Amino acid sequence: MSETVRLTVNGLAVEGSPAPRRSLADFLREDLRLTGTHVGCEHGVCGACTVLVDGRTARSCLLFAVQLAGAHVTTIEGLTPAEGLSPLQAAFRDCHGLQCGFCTPGMIVTAHELLAENPAPTSEVIRDAISGNLCMCTGYVNIVRAIDEAARRLRDGAR
Amino acid sequence: MTARADDGRWVGASVLRKEDARLTAGRGVFIDDLARPALLHCAMLRSPHAHARIVSVDVAAAAALPGVHAVLAGAEVAAMTQPIRPLIPTPVPLRDWCLAVDAVRYAGEPVVAVAAVDRATAEDALERVEVLYEPLEPVVDPERAIEPGAPLLYPEIGTNVLWHDVLTYGDVDGAFAAADGVLRERFEMQRYTSTPLETFGAIAEHDAGLDAYTFWTNDQRPGLTLSILAESLGVPQARLRLVTPDIGGAFGNKRRPAYLLVCALLAKKARRPVKYLEDRLENLTALMHACNGVIDLELAYKNDGTVLALAVRDIADEGKNLVTPAQHNLIKLGNIANGYRFGAIRYEPYSVLTNKCPTGANRGIGKPFMCFVVERAMALLARRLDMEPAELRLRNYVPPEAMPYTTPTGSQYDSGDYPATLRRALERFDYRRRREEQARGRREGRLLGIGIATSVEPAGTNLASYELITGRRAASGSAEAAMVRVEPDGQVRASIGDPASGQGYETVIAQIVADELGVTPAEVHVARGFDSATTPWLYLSGNYSNKFSVTDVGAVVGAARKVRDKLLRIAAHRLEVAVEDLQLAEGEARVRGVPGRGLALRELARTAYADVLGLPAGEEPGLEATHMHANPLAQPVDAQRRVRSQLVFSNAAHLTLVDVDRRTGKVTILDHVVVHDCGREMNPPIVEGMVHGSTVHGMGAALLEEFRYDEQGQLLTATFMDYLKPTALDVPDIRVDRLETPSPFTPLGAKGVGEGGAIPGPAAVANAVEDALAPFAVVVRSLPITPERVWRWMR
Amino acid sequence: MKPAAFSYERARNVDEAISALARDPDAKILAGGQSLVPMMNMRLARPSRLVDLNGIRELAAIAAAADGGLTLGAMVRHTELTTSSLVRERAPLIAAAAAHIGHRAIRNRGTLGGSIAHADPAAELPAVLLALDATIVVAGPAGRRRFAAGAFFVGLLTTELAQDEIVVGVEIPPSPPGWGFAELTRRAGDFAIAGVAGVLGHDGLARLAGFGVDDRPIRLRGAEAALASGDARAAGGAAAGEAHPADDVHASAEYRRHLVSVLTEAVVNDARERLAHAHGGARAASEAAAR
Repeated sequence: MSETVRLTVNGLAVEGSPAPRRSLADFLREDLRLTGTHVGCEHGVCGACTVLVDGRTARSCLLFAVQLAGAHVTTIEGLTPAEGLSPLQAAFRDCHGLQCGFCTPGMIVTAHELLAENPAPTSEVIRDAISGNLCMCTGYVNIVRAIDEAARRLRDGAR
Repeated sequence: MTARADDGRWVGASVLRKEDARLTAGRGVFIDDLARPALLHCAMLRSPHAHARIVSVDVAAAAALPGVHAVLAGAEVAAMTQPIRPLIPTPVPLRDWCLAVDAVRYAGEPVVAVAAVDRATAEDALERVEVLYEPLEPVVDPERAIEPGAPLLYPEIGTNVLWHDVLTYGDVDGAFAAADGVLRERFEMQRYTSTPLETFGAIAEHDAGLDAYTFWTNDQRPGLTLSILAESLGVPQARLRLVTPDIGGAFGNKRRPAYLLVCALLAKKARRPVKYLEDRLENLTALMHACNGVIDLELAYKNDGTVLALAVRDIADEGKNLVTPAQHNLIKLGNIANGYRFGAIRYEPYSVLTNKCPTGANRGIGKPFMCFVVERAMALLARRLDMEPAELRLRNYVPPEAMPYTTPTGSQYDSGDYPATLRRALERFDYRRRREEQARGRREGRLLGIGIATSVEPAGTNLASYELITGRRAASGSAEAAMVRVEPDGQVRASIGDPASGQGYETVIAQIVADELGVTPAEVHVARGFDSATTPWLYLSGNYSNKFSVTDVGAVVGAARKVRDKLLRIAAHRLEVAVEDLQLAEGEARVRGVPGRGLALRELARTAYADVLGLPAGEEPGLEATHMHANPLAQPVDAQRRVRSQLVFSNAAHLTLVDVDRRTGKVTILDHVVVHDCGREMNPPIVEGMVHGSTVHGMGAALLEEFRYDEQGQLLTATFMDYLKPTALDVPDIRVDRLETPSPFTPLGAKGVGEGGAIPGPAAVANAVEDALAPFAVVVRSLPITPERVWRWMR
Repeated sequence: MKPAAFSYERARNVDEAISALARDPDAKILAGGQSLVPMMNMRLARPSRLVDLNGIRELAAIAAAADGGLTLGAMVRHTELTTSSLVRERAPLIAAAAAHIGHRAIRNRGTLGGSIAHADPAAELPAVLLALDATIVVAGPAGRRRFAAGAFFVGLLTTELAQDEIVVGVEIPPSPPGWGFAELTRRAGDFAIAGVAGVLGHDGLARLAGFGVDDRPIRLRGAEAALASGDARAAGGAAAGEAHPADDVHASAEYRRHLVSVLTEAVVNDARERLAHAHGGARAASEAAAR
């Protein structure tokens, strides 16, 4: 029943033979052991499972791994440098933009897409961008501050 | 990278969190990230009926499905295990197992469990299970459930009421007789819950050779759970091990020993480890709701606004809660006076079973509703007496000079300046200018509203208070255990019986220990979570009712000081000075006033661990200490039925500005200010973050969140599409300011903060909406405030 | 929440997709998946086979039409509808409406064709297509069929699409210069409790469509007629009369009827303002040219 699917994950060629019904989220987490992407609802609302597919955010709980042949998938692991933290990650830490950390990978992936398209978003634009990512701990206040701070640092030339 | 606080200590400094490097990189380890060899996955078949007798269960076809390794149903469970011991026992013991045995009592109650090679296969197997039910009439409304003739969840006790009492403190009748007026009102609060983003789960592994079990789980009350597991499985606690990984939020919800038992039994049968992770539908349908209910309130007052007495009848809808019935009632009782000087209080609780999801601990656990009714009553009283709502409160607050103050029910407010807190909030909110804005808006046809709500926010629970319900004392007090160890390399390790779920304990504990031992937080490594094999722990250990700041801190400080004292004794011996001449600073024990004379911790550790002949006479080797701290504020219930059910009280004032769309009824929160006082803030950003988050949950309860059931007990809001959580666009920026009135009774002067804004948040928003709708003479008696409800009120 | 088992194939072109559907009556199309997959995860939908259209590039085209309108392929993503300069220019109502669909990650995958085929009565795009008098193009074993949008949505989650047909695209005629869009949701991105999309033309043309106010998107013809003689408020009042909304967990029928009148009025006002602006702009341009 399972055919081989070949895709690129975080820049590396990957192949697997997941059953058609295996979600991309489960494939990433269980088959590839990339557990940074989290599952919170499995119906596309909470945003914890957000990854980049061909550079655009997508709910990995609503994609089947077999659909991704030839696609480039980026997870939180792919947005983390080999050493240290990315400017976004550092800003989340510095602005206390996380508490339990479960929504954080999805938030960072979403923020990554936002800042790639809009290097100087207002706080309203930031709130709109993350409105599809639920957080139960922070009340969003420091998440908005973190993304704003990250935008500033990136504009100032942080790598 | 982080500076110390102004007084040179780490406690009080804005230390960046140690957890964040791994969490921002997606390197946290949550329960679903754990793999075990040959792991099986569990799925549970849940009752489609809210109330039914189980006639028969046929699992043969399910068991035969390839990939299925074990199946479990109620009959076997009843034979293999003892019933689950409740935290608060019912007057007559009601047997409850980890799967339904004779009957199902809420839609979603687990009936059969399957372990298979993956979750999808397990769910396929569930579709092959045949259960024959005989549906019974469900009871869904708590007031109906109290009436004679209502369907009974447990006919053997002849009632759905698990607790009914009348507790009278002070001369209530006299106060009402002397009053100039009585405000009477009925309020309702909806069912909602705390929905941590990570759902609850567990892995169980059975060692057949030892007949021992290991559990990995995001359970937030491991001390309690281990006790229940041992008793139900019939295995000594010494042969159980429970480990918690990173926990993705808990807020009281993360505890369900029944699910661990299911995994344990399946693991034993299948001879392979078994994981269960509830999906979101299961979480919303069947894990843990907060009690909805009805409160009838009578408030006796004088015409000058002085409040005299309060009489409250509280009907709490528990669903099928056999684990902690009446807990919401009890917690409400401890908070009932809010910040005011009531002379007399009568409280009549009903804890009522209905055919709905079990209730249990939640952010605020009962206090949001209690604060809602008192703060709504104050708002209504202010209108009735034509007084400024802030003035009315200021007139009635327990003043700072009266602290510590004991309320009629026995709660002790340890410290706090409630008037100053409110005044600061009014100032930060720019109250006068906002009122002018509101008046201008009214002239232009705009409906702006301002709401005030103030609250006391307790921390630490004294389990002795359960005696009010059960009539006997089984557990009592508030306690926690901690371990601190200087390792042979001079760095420090610590652990605590309270597993964090986002509160930053790894960082705050490091700050506390760093201060005691004269090192930096970077050199203190705090264990992630709980491990019963290595973490010291008590039955009372766990994460609940904000006890970290008020009880856990005592355990950490106590353990750190034992190690500190030993370090000083060893250093004194080696340096041949008196202990009093030494201090710990910058990683060494140094002689005061004599630069250069000191010994590094690493060197002292060498003596303690390796060169033990160098120890002072009578000193044991090693640099490790455990401390079990019992919070001395916890006392038994007294003869007048007064008790400190919660121990230390923070306070806050919330001011909200809302806009109500006159055409659609939609409410938008434009601005929200919080001034809070949680005593000494051990890490200000962490504190502020929890104020933000808990306040937003309060806003969600005010405007969005609601579990709705139909008359057959079917949950109509079982997904995140229908049970609405606030998003970043639904809530404004929240402006926070603080007072810091230390507690005189906690080791570091800190008080609790985690529940924070969840308590007054709903009242603040409700008061604001009512204020906006003043031209329509609306009274807000229930939540959530949906656009349609507002539209109907305006008509 | 794992779906029931199914087999999967990736169609390379429209004919392959149609053949796959014809072979298996329980097969379903996988486009964006943002509506289908949640239902599959909850086992409310159990297709035997998913036929994936995501590799068919020809279905994702956005093209200008000679008459001043445009054609949109079924696999155009909601995000592209909001960002495409062609769509924003020639069918601004579509761009505006699409921005209200879910959240960015949903819009990145969700498709126009999927929204049309799924036909949720509270969805934005079907109503917008009614207001724009669009033509929906479907393909099946017997070839292509074309439907006026108003004739395509026939019932609750039901369209004229046969089991072995797929939506391939939409033809949008030139958009009238006045347009408006308004919806009420509990939270941004949620399905609308009620909504209205409308266009107004210089020649008295008026098309108003409601969503969330019946079991399918509906033209508010009574409101359109009321506009000719009355004002925006009268149109709103008429709209309430022709809505037959449902009662559900989120709102009552009565409230929805109230909303449709409020939203109709708002849409008419916005459309009139845009119309006047366009009219004034056009006049200014022609006057300038005449000098």
